Amino acid sequence: MARQAGELFEEFQELTASEFFRKNKQMLGFSGKIRSLTVVFHEFITNSFDAAEEAGILPEIKIDLKRVDKDHYILKHIDNGPGIPEDFITRVFCTMFAGSKFRNIQSRGQQGLGCSGCVLLSQMTTGKPAKIISGYTENGKLKGVQMILKMDVKTNMGLILDKKEVEVKETGVCVELHFKDVSYSLSEQGAYEYIRRTIIANPHAKITFRDPTGRKYIFNRATEIIPPLPKEVLPHPKGVTADDLIFMAKHTDKRRFRSLLTSSLSRMSTKRVNEIEEKTGIDLNKRPKDMKWEEAEKIVDLFSKMEFMAPPTSGLIPIGFDQIEKGLIEILQPEFVTATTRKPVTYKGGVAFIIESAIAYGGEAGRIVGDQRKAEIMRFANRVPLTFDQGSCAITEALKSIDWKRYGIKDLENAPITVFVNIVSTNVPYLSTGKQSVAPEPEILHEVRQSSMKVARKLQKYLRAKKAAKEEEMRSKIFETYVPIILKEAAALAETGIPEYEHVLAKVTRRAKAELLGEVVDE
Amino acid sequence: MNKKEIAANKLKSLGTNIIEEVSQNKVPYIKVPSRGTSNILYDENKRHYILGDRYGKRSLGNVKQIKKIAQMVYMANFCKDLVEREKTATLRELYYVSEGWDVDFGDQQESNIIGEDLEVTLGMTREDLGLMPEEDGASVYGKLKLLEGDIEIDAMRAGKSGYTISPTIDEVEFVEHDVKRVIAVETMGMFHRMVQEEAYKKFETLVVGLKGQAARATRRFLKRVNEELKIPVYICNDGDPWGFHIAMVIISGSAKLAHVNHQLATPDAKYLGVTASDIINYDLPTDPLKDIDVLRLKELLKDPRYRDDVWITEIKKMLKINKKAEQQSFSKYGLEYVVDTYFPEKLESME
Repeated sequence: MARQAGELFEEFQELTASEFFRKNKQMLGFSGKIRSLTVVFHEFITNSFDAAEEAGILPEIKIDLKRVDKDHYILKHIDNGPGIPEDFITRVFCTMFAGSKFRNIQSRGQQGLGCSGCVLLSQMTTGKPAKIISGYTENGKLKGVQMILKMDVKTNMGLILDKKEVEVKETGVCVELHFKDVSYSLSEQGAYEYIRRTIIANPHAKITFRDPTGRKYIFNRATEIIPPLPKEVLPHPKGVTADDLIFMAKHTDKRRFRSLLTSSLSRMSTKRVNEIEEKTGIDLNKRPKDMKWEEAEKIVDLFSKMEFMAPPTSGLIPIGFDQIEKGLIEILQPEFVTATTRKPVTYKGGVAFIIESAIAYGGEAGRIVGDQRKAEIMRFANRVPLTFDQGSCAITEALKSIDWKRYGIKDLENAPITVFVNIVSTNVPYLSTGKQSVAPEPEILHEVRQSSMKVARKLQKYLRAKKAAKEEEMRSKIFETYVPIILKEAAALAETGIPEYEHVLAKVTRRAKAELLGEVVDE
Repeated sequence: MNKKEIAANKLKSLGTNIIEEVSQNKVPYIKVPSRGTSNILYDENKRHYILGDRYGKRSLGNVKQIKKIAQMVYMANFCKDLVEREKTATLRELYYVSEGWDVDFGDQQESNIIGEDLEVTLGMTREDLGLMPEEDGASVYGKLKLLEGDIEIDAMRAGKSGYTISPTIDEVEFVEHDVKRVIAVETMGMFHRMVQEEAYKKFETLVVGLKGQAARATRRFLKRVNEELKIPVYICNDGDPWGFHIAMVIISGSAKLAHVNHQLATPDAKYLGVTASDIINYDLPTDPLKDIDVLRLKELLKDPRYRDDVWITEIKKMLKINKKAEQQSFSKYGLEYVVDTYFPEKLESME
């Protein structure tokens, strides 16, 4: 017998965020054993960096990964940040979407699910609770607290199993989590490579990492400069959607839509607002909460046809070419390195971005395949390494479109080269939910090409000079080899003795060198 | 001065120039006449190819040229030693000898080229410098006596295959002869036919079996016979562009050896046949021309060596009838026909 709708809906229940992600963990990036572990590293490292930088501390992280069984690991992550006050610990580690709000700011965080996502993964795969120690200052005093936590997915809240005060030496957070269904790998997508690349793009940080075999890697910082904190900038009209406008309208304290527009969007003058009112026929003096979807749509549609000043770029903080060079030198010890930071430009007419490119040659640049070093591309978005979905990424596409032969690199694939590209933006256009590849906006492709070609030209200059020096050495060697032979044989032919030839030898060597340097040769 | 002394002197002067320049603190160089196609000219008076007066300078001060200079002086020393000791070596032997030198050659091709450089620079043939080709020359049958060292050779008593022209033909002296002409034929088949039919007796001729493209020694032999014994040289090859050209290289020399053609070309030698006219007149069995034959014939029409009216007529005629014929095709009328009928008729018309 057919069941009634009411009966069916008795089983209908709302999912909390935690419960939803428990069922769809791939949406947090936890797909595949290697990738899952890389995402965990990413979340903790990013959080530690952000916290330290906000507190004006040079980040230092210690990571210890132990393997207890085939794919059962224990991760211990310790940072030197400001710590988390006791009351906030459960929110940070056990609540999904904590602190989520509409912010137009350049940030490392990609999903905003952060640490709580990792705790969820740990709990789902091992059933074990998380152990957190937080050291923080309160009223000028250093305090330490240790908590054993579990996440209650039904309520999206933390359950404190145990709590005690502990003694700490300094501020910072120590997290200890168990994981199964993850795998530590040295491949490009693995956790180790993630750390290595992170340090290159964050040369002000120090990471000490002990891998499951007990081997300790120390990635030292190459600079003592803490990058300035990105400032929140108002979104540009060309970068917003109707949904964004409605969201703003709901959360604003402004009383008229007119003032909401000028205060929430950049480059929005009174003149422009009047223009919008005139062209759309919408009364902008009404209250923001009364804004209808159709009206928002109409306004956004008009934005795309209007002309605005380019968006402000003050919110963009590039790494800086000199800092990138330092990072590459520290990690790759290359024979040659050069980097460049482009001026800010926009894509889609309203989203500002900056491209930074660098190239490292020789030393430990490139990727070892067999017994040969091959070229590697390191992609970053706001200093965060992108290690998956390389093929579909705009950065890869732009780099592949460059004719490297023109820059003296006959075969890019097989050259000991690391190409570094970082895109800095408040709104990096990702291709997919994994947020690992950048969409091929024409302006982004253009900027990546231009900046990479600039560094390639510098590399070419270096390679040329190196070749010339080698040639010079070869040339003088040729004369030193053949002049005596020729004179010995010529003397035998002429049936006479070998004359003094040092003068002629010096002359030809000198002349060949001048010729090589493009100087005029006087007879 | 004989050739040997000239060769030894020229080789010595190559070394003397270098030593003198260096003694004056100058950077020595060697002038090597250019062998590029633009420097190979057809000399209408001499009726063979010659080298023009363009040359390249090989300077001791040039990184790319200094090794070649070293190779040249090394090879010059080796040749001088050969000439003085009256020995010869093949190019292959030279290449292996060079393995023990302070300069090396990448391959034999490289050493052959340096050998040619030395030839053009000194204006001597490589045989003059003691360097011999690998292959023997043609076979000679007929009343000719030669002296090689202290051994007398009779080209009538060297077996049915005749006397084989040695690469060192310049060392050989003509002692005695009783012939009025030389007939050189392309194939050994025809050579043996002529020996069997006693053509040497009938026509009072030397029979020379070229074995295809004539070797340098063969060409040198024909030139010497023509000039020293003052007897006419006739060439009988297949009636196709390739046969024509084998004859023409004997007559006017090749572009590749432009620097030594004055010692190799026999401008007075005559092409007896097989011509396009012969194909028609004797109604010879034929093959149709292949595309490559047609192409080659058209090339010959543009070649300055074929400027003679008779050649132009014959080439055009062959293109018109679109047929070619081999020497042996006369056998259609019996094995003896070529000696009994063809040669007498042709020789009569040409002399």
